[in-house]
Amino acid sequence: MLGPNGAGKTTLVKCLSTILIPDEGTAIINGFDIRKQTTLVRASLGMVIGGERTLYWKLTARDNLLYFASLYKMPRKKIKERVDELLGKMNLLDRADERLEDYSTGMRQKVAIARALLHDPSILLLDEPTLGLDPTFSRQIRNQIRELSKKEGKTVLLATHYMEEADELCDRIAIINEGKIVAADTPDRLKAMVKETELVEVICYNPPQNAEKYLESLCPDVEIITLVRGEEAKGTPSRIKLIGGNAEKRIGTVVDALRKKNTQIISLNISVPTLEDVFIKLTGAKLTEGGRGTSQ
Amino acid sequence: MIMRPSETYSFRANLLIIWSEVVKNVKFLLAYPVIFVFWTIFPFFWFIPFIFQGQAFVGGLQSASFEQFAGTPDYIPFIVIGAILNGYVLTSLYGVGESIRREAYRGTLDYLLSSPCNKAFILIGKAMSESINGTMYAAIQFVVGILFFGIELTIDTIMPIVLIIFLLILGLYGISLMLAAVSLQFKQAHDLAHTLEYVFYVFTPVRYPLQSLPFWAQVLGKFLPLTYALVAVRSIMLLKQDVLAIYQEIFLLLVVDIALIFLGFYLFNWMEKRTKSSGTISHY
Repeated sequence: MLGPNGAGKTTLVKCLSTILIPDEGTAIINGFDIRKQTTLVRASLGMVIGGERTLYWKLTARDNLLYFASLYKMPRKKIKERVDELLGKMNLLDRADERLEDYSTGMRQKVAIARALLHDPSILLLDEPTLGLDPTFSRQIRNQIRELSKKEGKTVLLATHYMEEADELCDRIAIINEGKIVAADTPDRLKAMVKETELVEVICYNPPQNAEKYLESLCPDVEIITLVRGEEAKGTPSRIKLIGGNAEKRIGTVVDALRKKNTQIISLNISVPTLEDVFIKLTGAKLTEGGRGTSQ
Repeated sequence: MIMRPSETYSFRANLLIIWSEVVKNVKFLLAYPVIFVFWTIFPFFWFIPFIFQGQAFVGGLQSASFEQFAGTPDYIPFIVIGAILNGYVLTSLYGVGESIRREAYRGTLDYLLSSPCNKAFILIGKAMSESINGTMYAAIQFVVGILFFGIELTIDTIMPIVLIIFLLILGLYGISLMLAAVSLQFKQAHDLAHTLEYVFYVFTPVRYPLQSLPFWAQVLGKFLPLTYALVAVRSIMLLKQDVLAIYQEIFLLLVVDIALIFLGFYLFNWMEKRTKSSGTISHY
């Protein structure tokens, strides 16, 4: 599930995990109805939601896992074996008896994933599992997710606003915006939706304040014009995207118009579509900015 | 999957949930060792004002007019028993509701709710942790009472007193569940717990005999389990009565317990469903 913050990903995950009751409709998980067979749905699921904060920091990693395992009614002997097995799998065995308050964010997230795997569920719901992690831990967590899916055959529902993560890990992607799924398909097929149309990207510094409206007035035959502002003070340029219509034919007009407004153009690409482009095309909103997808 | 659906209702597994919850809460308690200072000092501090109050009002620690209501002229042992049993009320009022709020604050409540176990066992575990806390506190107060305030505890009275305290705790579990339900809906139960604390102080015979209250207040007090527990324990310890002489109090305590537990579970389940529908269950 790919969508910006506030799109409804977490709400959907919470409905599927029976933490919330949906206003209408239902879902079937592992053959069980989330409204009527809540206990069986819960037994079928493992969940990572809310990240590292959702553990008891005053307890050790082992104590945390032993406690949560007891809620899944596993035999006591099996609990200890399983906890050790998962701590080993997460490379945490040597620090298993330290309190989580002494762990790093990435280590706590690993404990959270281990918790989701305690009862060896066939389905995992992962809500932003790499949020706030450094690149090393993010990569480790992504590798683990890939392993769980490919090697252990688990069904993983990943909710994320990182398009690279969705592109890298998912067989199918549902794009969600303002509580609605606007498209669901394989990453390649989703990108093909944009491939057919022209896509021009201008990398620049100091674009005008109202760049989108300004360029729209000059290029009315381009379907979507969007500006993703970079942190220019830190050296990250802004990106202006022209999607669809006669985007390629309008390159000259756009370059001239931006120069007139003192915009420093770094490069100009006829680019390969990304999932963000798909998102923009489908919703007319940006994925990479904070908060909800911003309507154009 | 390790857990199969058919395994969801095993008695031993449910006991393990309660045990794990108790162990977790005891570990939390030990993580904050300042609590032991409170346990050591507070029993003395609680009793001392009553000694001075008794001396100021009746010129000593015995009173004939007090005896007319209480059946014993000894003011201090009466108060000590009131304080000990009221300790269980305090731990119950402030324990479970606050614990639910803390789970929401930590973000762990979602995980408790999304586990396949019956939530009642988690709540019982939480309430039992509070009872253990209350019992440790009560034990210290009993020792202080025996050593310094003339409380007499004989071997033959221990079992009946344990039984009465057990029944008191059951009734308080019902009130704990209600406060947990309030905490789910309103995100804090502290103020209500504070109000209830004073309801218990005023309408149950913690500090004075029930008979000194007006009739309507006595009737109100009879809806609270502490009233029966105090009357029964004082009858055994101060009036040296037999268990058979207080069977009525024990029976009524049991009736109040069942009503409170039923109400507590009903209210908690109702609030859980309500907050799940409104989407506010994880808020804090």
